[in-house]
Formats: sequence, C-alpha cells, structure tokens
Amino acid sequence: MFLKRYIPIGIVAFFGSLTLFGWFIDNESVEAFVNDDATQWYDIIASFAIFLGALNLLKLQFLKVVKRQSGWQYSVVAIASFFFAFTIGFFMKGAFFVGEEVYFTQGAAEQAILASGSSETVKAVEWGAHISTEGGLFKWMFDNIFTPLSATMFALLAFYVASASYRAFRARNFEATLLLLAGIIIMLGRVPVGSLITPWMVMYLLVFVGTIFMANYFKDRKIIFGSFVVGLLGVTALGIGMDWNPTEPAIFFLPSLQEWIYTVPNLAGARAIMIGIGLGIIVTSLRYIFGLEKSYIGDQ
Amino acid sequence: MRFFEDMILKLGSVDRRYIFLLIGLAVLIPLLRPIDLPIRTTPTTEKVYKAIAEIPANSKVLMSFDYGPSTKPEIHPMTLGVMRQLLREDHQIYITCLWPDGLYMALDALEEINEEFELVEYEDYVLLGFRPGNEAIVKGLASDLRKVYTVDYRQTMLEDIPMMDGINNLKDFQFIFTGSAGYPGTFEWVQYGGDPTGVPLSSGTTSIQVNEVMPYVQSGQIKGVLAGMPGAAEYEKLIGTPGIAIQGMAAQSFAHLVIVLFIVLGNLAYFITERRERKY
Amino acid sequence: MAFSTIFGAWIAAFLTLGILSYLYRDNPFYKIAEHVFVGVSAAYWAATFYWTQIYPNLFGRLFPKDGPLAFIAEIDFNHDFNILYLFPLILGVMMLLSIFKQFNWMARWGIAYTVGIAAGLKAYGYLSSNVLSQISASAVDIFSGSLPLFSMSGDSVFNNIIILVGTISALMYFYFSREQTGSYGKFTRLGIYFLMISFGASFGFAVMGRISLLIGRFNDLILFSSPDYNYGTYWMMLFIVVILGFWSFQNPEKKEG
Repeated sequence: MFLKRYIPIGIVAFFGSLTLFGWFIDNESVEAFVNDDATQWYDIIASFAIFLGALNLLKLQFLKVVKRQSGWQYSVVAIASFFFAFTIGFFMKGAFFVGEEVYFTQGAAEQAILASGSSETVKAVEWGAHISTEGGLFKWMFDNIFTPLSATMFALLAFYVASASYRAFRARNFEATLLLLAGIIIMLGRVPVGSLITPWMVMYLLVFVGTIFMANYFKDRKIIFGSFVVGLLGVTALGIGMDWNPTEPAIFFLPSLQEWIYTVPNLAGARAIMIGIGLGIIVTSLRYIFGLEKSYIGDQ
Repeated sequence: MRFFEDMILKLGSVDRRYIFLLIGLAVLIPLLRPIDLPIRTTPTTEKVYKAIAEIPANSKVLMSFDYGPSTKPEIHPMTLGVMRQLLREDHQIYITCLWPDGLYMALDALEEINEEFELVEYEDYVLLGFRPGNEAIVKGLASDLRKVYTVDYRQTMLEDIPMMDGINNLKDFQFIFTGSAGYPGTFEWVQYGGDPTGVPLSSGTTSIQVNEVMPYVQSGQIKGVLAGMPGAAEYEKLIGTPGIAIQGMAAQSFAHLVIVLFIVLGNLAYFITERRERKY
Repeated sequence: MAFSTIFGAWIAAFLTLGILSYLYRDNPFYKIAEHVFVGVSAAYWAATFYWTQIYPNLFGRLFPKDGPLAFIAEIDFNHDFNILYLFPLILGVMMLLSIFKQFNWMARWGIAYTVGIAAGLKAYGYLSSNVLSQISASAVDIFSGSLPLFSMSGDSVFNNIIILVGTISALMYFYFSREQTGSYGKFTRLGIYFLMISFGASFGFAVMGRISLLIGRFNDLILFSSPDYNYGTYWMMLFIVVILGFWSFQNPEKKEG
C-alpha cells in the first residue's frame, strides 16, 4: 500500500509543488533544478514510457500469434515490421559516407570505392546521428514507410468528413443553422473560389432563399411573388448604382464576411472556451498536487 | 416539382462510396489540370509577414518544427516561406523540434531551401534537433538552452559551433516562429516561451488548430497566424515565391464547393422529408 | 535515380493505396498497411527517443568521460557526472519492469513524477497565458472615441462590443451552478449562439485541414506515377485493384438488415 499508493501521491505532491512554486521562488539552486534537471528527468522518464509502450505492443501481438486469435497473421506482420525498424534504429548505422555520397552498408560503400577507384575512405556516422542523416537507412525508412502511412491515415478523414457533412449535418434548429452557416461561410470565404463569388450572386441567392422561406408563412401567392420581384429589382438597382463592384457591399462578399466572423463572434466563443479550459486545467492541476485526484494510480 | 424532390431524396440515400469517389475526383482533377485562382491575403497572414519584415537586421531567429509528415502539406510551405523571407534578410536561423518527426521535416526544408540559397551550416543555420519533453523543453530553452542541448543533431558540441556563441536562452533570439500541428506547439511556445521572455512570436498552424489559437492573435501574444494551407498560399503570395500551397488552392476550392453542395443537398433532403412527414 | 529511391517510392505508393483501399471496404491490403504502421512507428519512436534523450542526457551524465563509472562505458557529451540522474534511471527501469503483471504498480512512480511536473508547469502556464492574458485582452476599447463605429476588418466600437458581450455570455453559459432561466437564461442563450458560431468555424477549418492533407497524399501519388519512378503508382494500383477484385468476388459483402 505504501509503495503502491502513498509514495506515488507523495511524488506528485512534492514535485508538483516544487515545479509550481519554482515559478515564484527566486533561489538559484531551486530555479536551476526546476528549470533544468527536473525537466530533463521528465524527458528521460517520458522516453522510458515510450519503450514501455513498444514492449506492451509486442506483448499483445505475440499473445495474439501464440493463441492463434482472429487476424493473428497480421500480428506477424506487425512484429516483423517492429523488428525491422528496431534493427535499423539500434543495430545498424545505415549511413556510410564516401565523400558526399551515402551508402546503407559498409560493404556497399567499399564496393563503390573499388568501382570508382578513388582514394576516399569510408566514414561511418556516429551513433545517434545515424537516425537523422540524410540519405541514411533510418531516414529512408521514415520517408518511404512511416511518412506515407502516417500521412494517409490522416488524409482518410477528408473522405469521412465529406460523408458526414452529407449525411449527418442537418439544420434542425436555429443553433444548428448558425453552426452550418458559419462553417459554410468559412469554407467558401477562406479559399480562392470565395473571391470569385460576387456579393451580388450572394444577394440574389438570399432573395431566392428568402422567398422559399416566406412561402412557409404566407399562402397568398401574390405576396410571395411580389416580394420576390421587389427583392430582385432592389438588388439589381443597388448593383447598377454600385457599378456591380465585385467586392462591395463587403457584408455579402464571402472573404470579407468570413474574416469578420472569424475575428469577431468566433473569437468571442473561442476566447470563452480558452478561458474555461484554462480554469479547468488550473483546478485539475491543483487537485493532482493536493492529492485529491488519483486517477493516475487507478483510483476513481 | 415532386420529381425533383424524389430525385433529391434518392441522392440522400446513395452509397457513401460514391461520395468518396466524388471528393477524390474533386481533389485529383485540379491537381492534374492546374487552374490559377486569385489568392486574396488576410490580415492575420499579413501580420506574420509584417512581423518578420520588421525584425532588426542580422538577427538570430529561432524556428521550431513542431509537425510531422501527416501535417506536412499544410505547414511545410509555411516554414519554407518563412525561411526564405528570413534568409533574404540575412538573418541567422536556429532550428529546434518539439516533435521527433520535426527533425526530418527540418532536414527536408533545408534540402529544398539549399537549392535556392546555397546554405552554409553553422554560418546560416544550426539544426539543434529534437528533444522529447514537450513544454518542459520550451521552459528549459527559456531558462538555459545549453542544458537542453549540449550537441546539435550531428552530435557536434555546441561549444564548437561559433554561431552558438552568446546563445544561452530564448532571450538571445530576436524572433521565434513555430510551425505547429498540435501538442506540443503554439500553445506551449506562448505559455512557456513568448509570454515569459517577451520575445516576439509568430506561428503557422494546421487549419484544425487555428481557431484555438485565434485569441492569442487578438491579444497580441502571437504576431499573426498562418492558417493552414490557405494561409500558407497567402504567405507564398506575399513573399513572391509561389509553391505547393498555391498549387493546391484550386483542389482545395473545388473540394470545399463539393462539400458545401453535399451539405445543401443533404439539408434539402431533410427538409423535404420533414415536410412530407408533417403532411401525413 | 538510385534503386533505393525508386524502390522506396513503390513501397510508399503501395502503402498509401493500401490505406486508401479502406474506402472501398476493410480488406487485407489495409490490414497489412495498418499493422506495418503499428510495428514501424513503435520502433521508430523508441529509437528516436533513445538516441535523442536517453543516450546523451541520461547515459551521458551517468557515464561521462573520466567519470567514476567510466569503467562501464564512456559516453562523451561534455556533461559532468551527476549521481542524481540515478533517480530517473531507476524510475525508468521500474516503468519497464511494469510490463510484468506482478510489477504492474512500478509504473506508478514514473507516471506520478510526470504528472507532478506537468501539473506544476500547466497550472502556471495556463493561468498566465490562457486566463489572465485573455481576460486582459477582453478589456477592449469602446469609449475612447479613437475607433470607427463599424468596420468589417480591423477594430471598431461595434466589433469590440460584440467580442465583449460574446465572451462574457459564452463564459456565463459554462457556469452550471445556477439554473439558466429568466433573463440570465436569455443571456446565456446568446452565449450558446456565439459558441455555435465558433464551432461552425472550427468545423469549416477542420474540413479545410483534412482536404489539405488529402492534397498532400495525392501530390505524392502523382509524383510516384512519373517515368522517373517507373510509374510506381500505376503498377501498385493495378496490382491492388486486381487482387482486391478477386478477393471481393471470393468474399462478397454482407448486406445489413
């Protein structure tokens, strides 16, 4: 109990308080510890956590293979891929220089020297630098295996966003309509095509939509038709008067409208969310430091 | 009229794979057949450009590559553009990475920029590399850079790099720019870098993150923000060097148009269904 | 172009198309690509974190050149020997040992340390930058007379009033300790409208971001379809489509309902 519960809570309380008060204490050794060593230890432990994650992954995949669970063949692929990348990262330098040229193996570099007949020698990179050497094996793995997979996983979401927009986003009430309108104006106003949609096109569209909306409330077709004609004539007259200016009136020009929405009402909402989240994080951090929140040791 | 309503309702229940196909085509066709569209700059992008233009001559600028390959299409054009503007003004660039992938993004950016500027390492730039620790790293840099970094990415000691003379913490830089894709990124640079030290800070973020960062722009905690690929395209226009962001704007525009049409169609189908249900 | 570059491009094209094949339906190519991603990324992250942090900053301080433990190893990063760094080493090893069920609890010490440091860092950071600075920025100029009444871009009295009212009403909406009825309810309703506009803008930006990422992938596929890369994209696409077609025929899709 002492080791499993009280010591972790004590660690959080001690180091949390030290880090928090370190912002306010003007003592060189405390500041040096909090700003430098404490943060270095944090980084080191975070690095070990990554190793733990990798080990856990291997354990789960191995168990799946051993127990012949559904899809165990793919777990073999995962394990093989892991060991392939692990070997490249830890046991192979993968970057041997002959002048400016880089080769994956010492043998290939030596063969290149023999083939060219030059007097150059093979220069291997240092351990540590081998993971960032341009042209090296680790970078090759990053460029051709990790990058396409990582990027494409994210890119898949573009399709699902489109599908969700079509099937799920409905203007069921005023709030949802506001959300959709803001989203549509931002989507169109932020890209070049928004500049091609003149304010006059938007105003004619509004007259059209307004008439359809009116049709729900007025049964007299003369009123509806009259309003429609008046709307059209009004927009046309304004357009002639303003020489069909492609960017005025600015309130109907999508790029200007989206800029106003983005920097005024959207900012208000975003700021409120930021302050709210900030207050929440402060309170939660203090709860961790005071030992009131113990979810990190599995307590409710 | 009923015929059109029935058609819209049928479209509402189409297999989603057709939607995927339409989106794919809307993005692919403009990439294969490029179309030039006018780029209109926004005030938030102009603020970034102006802030960098106002950096005193021969300054030392810290750039942080806090993104990976998954967000490279959005942020890479920004970092390339910023590097171009900085190098044209003969500023020296110091590069850190809060993301492990950021190191490779920085290497790619340097390789591309080298074709234009013929960079000399340790004279024009120093690539310090990646350190894990998120906000702890930013805090460490604000306090003592040489405890966070003893060597650069090539394992060269910082003491052996003349360009690192006089650089001990963030206050020794005249400007900070972060290309940020999430956590750690802009938030951490503001909270532990820009605000405590007072060093002017600017940022380029993914479109998803830009709304969260907007309050910092209005409060002046960051000097403008480059918002996603459109922001990168605007910045490329301002520096006068078109790149992949501008090339992608036609595809972006058409994809947005298609999605807006989907939303409108979907809502039309919804209203038609609602009206018919009310009648019966 | 070097063989490794062309070969790498073919692999990249195969993996990209494998992931994209999920749009058709879950299939072996997607599963292979997904599991390769899982395996490679775990090792990639482990290698990166080890060589950039553990090797220079931990071992570099425990086994420096001419240090007391130099007989075990000499790792020269110009650090002095610092015995305090045994603490993170012990916590780190305990974390690794927690993979065994009987030592599960050992990870708690390392997690507790990271939670404590993060809590101490975040409490101040968010208070200063996200709360105090934002409240200060909300004190906008309305009465000075130096601003225009209205402007679509830039500061104006009307815009500043909207920002002030919007921020306060949206913040008040998040105060759930009081029942939101009457005039208070109407004011917080206004706050909801501002939040909806904000969420709508976030949605628009999210769509923008995702499409941008897709543009990046398609750009790479177009590049790999060029003669320089021996038309890698086309060959991989043909391969996947043929095999997938055959597989779909053998495994027809189960209709729902």
